[in-house]
Order: sequence, then structure tokens, then C-alpha cells
Amino acid sequence: MISLSKHSIAALAFLLLALAGCAHYPLNEPLATYQPDQGYRFPAVASGKNTDSLFVCLAFSGGGTRAASLAYGVMEKLRATKIVWKGVEKSLLDEVDCISSVSGGSFTAAYYGLFGDRLFSDFRPDFLERDIQGELTAKALSPLNWLRLASPNFSRIDLAAEHYDEVLFGGKTFGDLPAGRPFILLNATNLANGDGFEFTQDQFDFLGSDISRYPVARAVAASSAFPVLLSPLSLKNYPSPPGYRVPKDIANAQEDFYDNRRRYQWARNRASYLTQADRPYVHLMDGGLADNIGLRAIENAYLRSSGFIRTRLNEGEIEKFLIIVVNARTQDQDALSRSESPPGLFTVAYKTATISLDNFSFETIEFMKELQKARKQTQTTLSVCQQKLDACPGQPPLPKLAKSIEPFVVEVNFEALADPVQRQYFLGLPTTFALPREDIHALIEVGQTLLDADPVYQAVVESLRLPAP
Amino acid sequence: MEYLLVHFPRDRRVLVNDEFNGRTEELIELEAGTHTIALGPPYNFTPAFKKIRLVDTSALTPREIDFDLAE
Repeated sequence: MISLSKHSIAALAFLLLALAGCAHYPLNEPLATYQPDQGYRFPAVASGKNTDSLFVCLAFSGGGTRAASLAYGVMEKLRATKIVWKGVEKSLLDEVDCISSVSGGSFTAAYYGLFGDRLFSDFRPDFLERDIQGELTAKALSPLNWLRLASPNFSRIDLAAEHYDEVLFGGKTFGDLPAGRPFILLNATNLANGDGFEFTQDQFDFLGSDISRYPVARAVAASSAFPVLLSPLSLKNYPSPPGYRVPKDIANAQEDFYDNRRRYQWARNRASYLTQADRPYVHLMDGGLADNIGLRAIENAYLRSSGFIRTRLNEGEIEKFLIIVVNARTQDQDALSRSESPPGLFTVAYKTATISLDNFSFETIEFMKELQKARKQTQTTLSVCQQKLDACPGQPPLPKLAKSIEPFVVEVNFEALADPVQRQYFLGLPTTFALPREDIHALIEVGQTLLDADPVYQAVVESLRLPAP
Repeated sequence: MEYLLVHFPRDRRVLVNDEFNGRTEELIELEAGTHTIALGPPYNFTPAFKKIRLVDTSALTPREIDFDLAE
């Protein structure tokens, strides 16, 4: 009898281990055929009320529920801002062409991308006001998940993605995203090289993979996989499908080591996925590790000859170009400075990662502002020189840009708050997926207040204002 | 940014690295580096493309390249 029990226990243990070994994260699927004009890419044609001439991009930063709430507040403000463009009355939100996001901001971006105006009725109860962090912890501690988590191919991030699908995204995939605007760019970070990873078909082409059947919840999970707290999310890197060819700007940029190191590095990082035999898997973490603002993808679209912003600028389709950066950055180093004892290992590791992130984010925003300023200076130079030439009869006119544009960069940032008590309150909010309702309400309000108070935003809205009745 | 000016006897769209990026006789704003330049249809131009290194230009002194009508 005892012997039988031992056998039973051994058999049960074997069965459990076998079951644990079976648990595997859902694999991204291979791309059957290469179709550079198909799949989840920036829509070639503006749809509905959205025009190309007023081109609006939003960048949502990381910062857990704090960032998601601040982004939500800005979305509410954009919806309430009525404008007239090309004789049509609409909200400024109707003109948003792209939203690029990382980490906490990706929840707001992806939800709006999938469900549109449902954001304003369902997102607060379904996500912002939930204790997502507690729910994730409960899932991880549930004995039902212990076996799955014992598998080397199933981890906490996969549980998190399942949970996001259950409570928020309803099993939707990238193929379910509406064909129109805004185009949603969910950003993660490749753990191997620290490079940004965009969940688009352009990026998945390099993996020989089809994004259309990939769950949006997994992309959001990757984008918000904060180091240590959550594990990396993995993708399979497949051989390129028949007929695949490397995009020409990627091929050419790899010759730019001396002439343009930024472009060279961008191309090298993307092309590196094509050495599939050396890199059969890609492991992704929080998008904030590469760019905690979400602005990098917009910067690429502005700079690269294949970028959806650059092509439209050079084709003369854009007249006003507005970027709104929603930056939920906080500042808690004062707490460190008040302690006589040096911080512990975890705090040092956390600060080492996040300080460089914040500095990098600051530089990214300033670089984008400088690019926009340079464009304005070029337009002014051409205009002034042409005026001087006009005074000299017989001189041929200078060549012109396809169109002079009005560029604007707006940053929503707690540091812009004038009241020091209010500023310190928001700068001290933690990065978590569980905030009290009063904090969420305050974040939504302050997002709207900060946007409204920004002088650049005021100038944009003034130029688009509805005529007085 | 760098500036490119493409000449051709006819008004034509310009392809930069296989993407439409403006027209002939207009300033085309691009980042520095290596680019492949061609024209849009009809394909009555020569050469079929030009590969250039675009550096050290300005809006007042763009890099200028020519395409000819094919016989």
C-alpha cells in the first residue's frame, strides 16, 4: 500500500512537471507573404474627418496608472476642444493622426486605438480605477498558476498579458485595429541591444512575422514590462518570407557610419533581426528603457525618408504640425537626499535605470523642438532671401519647399505647475498600477489644466478657433 | 537637415529610397546620408536612379542632380 502511494505520488509529480513544461507563451505567427503595402502600417489615406493638412501626433510617457490617467485627461481636453479646419467644425481629437506610447501610456493609447470614444465611458472603471497591481499579484500567487509559472516558457508577463486581455482588450489583435487614424505606435525595448521596438508591421517584417494576429494586450504588456517587477516578453524571429527585400532606406543608411550615426544605428538595429539564425528569439521589456516619452517613434517618422511624417512634409500635404508630449515624469530624489545612510541595492538599481531614462527623455524632447525650430528658420531664411532677390529684376526665383509649415511642440509636464504644493504633490506620485481615486481624478484634471495653460497650445487653438456666433 | 533639388525637363514626382518625397524643381528636405533618387512614372528618364551622398548642404545651397529625358 505504502509502495503504491509512493508510485502514485511519483506519477502525480511527473504529471504535474509535464503539465508545467507544457505551458508556453503564445507565439507570434510567421508572415506567409511579404506585402509592403499591407498590414498594420501608417494608413496611406486619411479617413473620416481627419486631414493630413493639420497633422497631430501625441506621445504618451511611461509611469503606470499616473501616466495613463494624465494621458486620459489630455484626451478628454482634446475632445472638448472645438476647432474649424478647412471649413469643417470638429474636435481637435478628430485630427489626431498618431499616438506613440510607452508603458503606462500604452494602455490609454491602445484602448483608444481599439475602441475609440468608448475610452471616455469605460476606461476609468475598466482600468484607471482598478487595482490592477493587486489583481496581478493575486494571479501570480494563485496555486492555479504555480504550475504554469514553473515552466521556463511561461512567466509573469504572460499572466499579465492574459489579465489585460480579460479586463481591457477583449482578445483583440492588431488586425482588429480600425483602418483609420490615429495610428497607434506601442513601443517596447529589445533587452539584447536596448533599442526601441515598435509594434507595427514595418517592425514585424524584420522578424518575418505577421502582426495582424498578435494580441494588442501582449504588446501593451511588453511596453509596460517594468524591469524586475515583470519578466520580459518573448517573440520568435522567423526567416524572411519569399520575396522579402530590405527597405532601401535601411540598406542605404548602413553606409552612413561617418555621415549620420543616428541613421546608421537605427538601420543596423533593425537589420540585425534579419540574422535570424543568430537571433531566433527577441525578448522585450518596458518601452521606457529605450525612450520613456514615446517620442522616438515620432522622431523617426519625421527624420527618415520612409517616415510617414517626412514623406507628407516633402509632398506638401502638411500645413500645421502639432506634437503634444504628455510627460508624467516624477521627481523623488529629494527623499534620497534627506537620508544620512546611502540607499540600498534595489534603490540604487532603480535610480540607475530611471535617472538615465529621464535625462534621455529630456534630450529627446529638446531634439524634437530643435528640429521644428530648424524647419522654421529654413522657411524664414528662404522667405527673406527671396524678398531681397525680388528687389533685383531678372534674377530667377529661389527653389521653394513644397509647403511652408507651422510646427508646434507642446509638453504637458508637472513641473510647469506654478503652485509649489500642487507641483510637489504630482511629482511625488508613485509609479504603480493602483492609485486612489482622488489621485486619478486629480491627474485627469491637471492634464487638462496643463494643456490649457501651455502658451504654444493656446496659440494653436487660437489659430483654429470657431468663429464667434 | 539637408536639401536636395532634382532637375528634369518635365514636372515629376521624386522617389527617395523608393518613397515619394516631393517633386522636381522643389527643395526636398532629408536627413544627411546615402540616398537613392529616382523619378515617378512615366519611366522616360535616364539614368534609372542616382545614388548620392547628401551632406553639407543648406536650403540656399542644395545638392542639385539632373535626370535626362530618355530617347
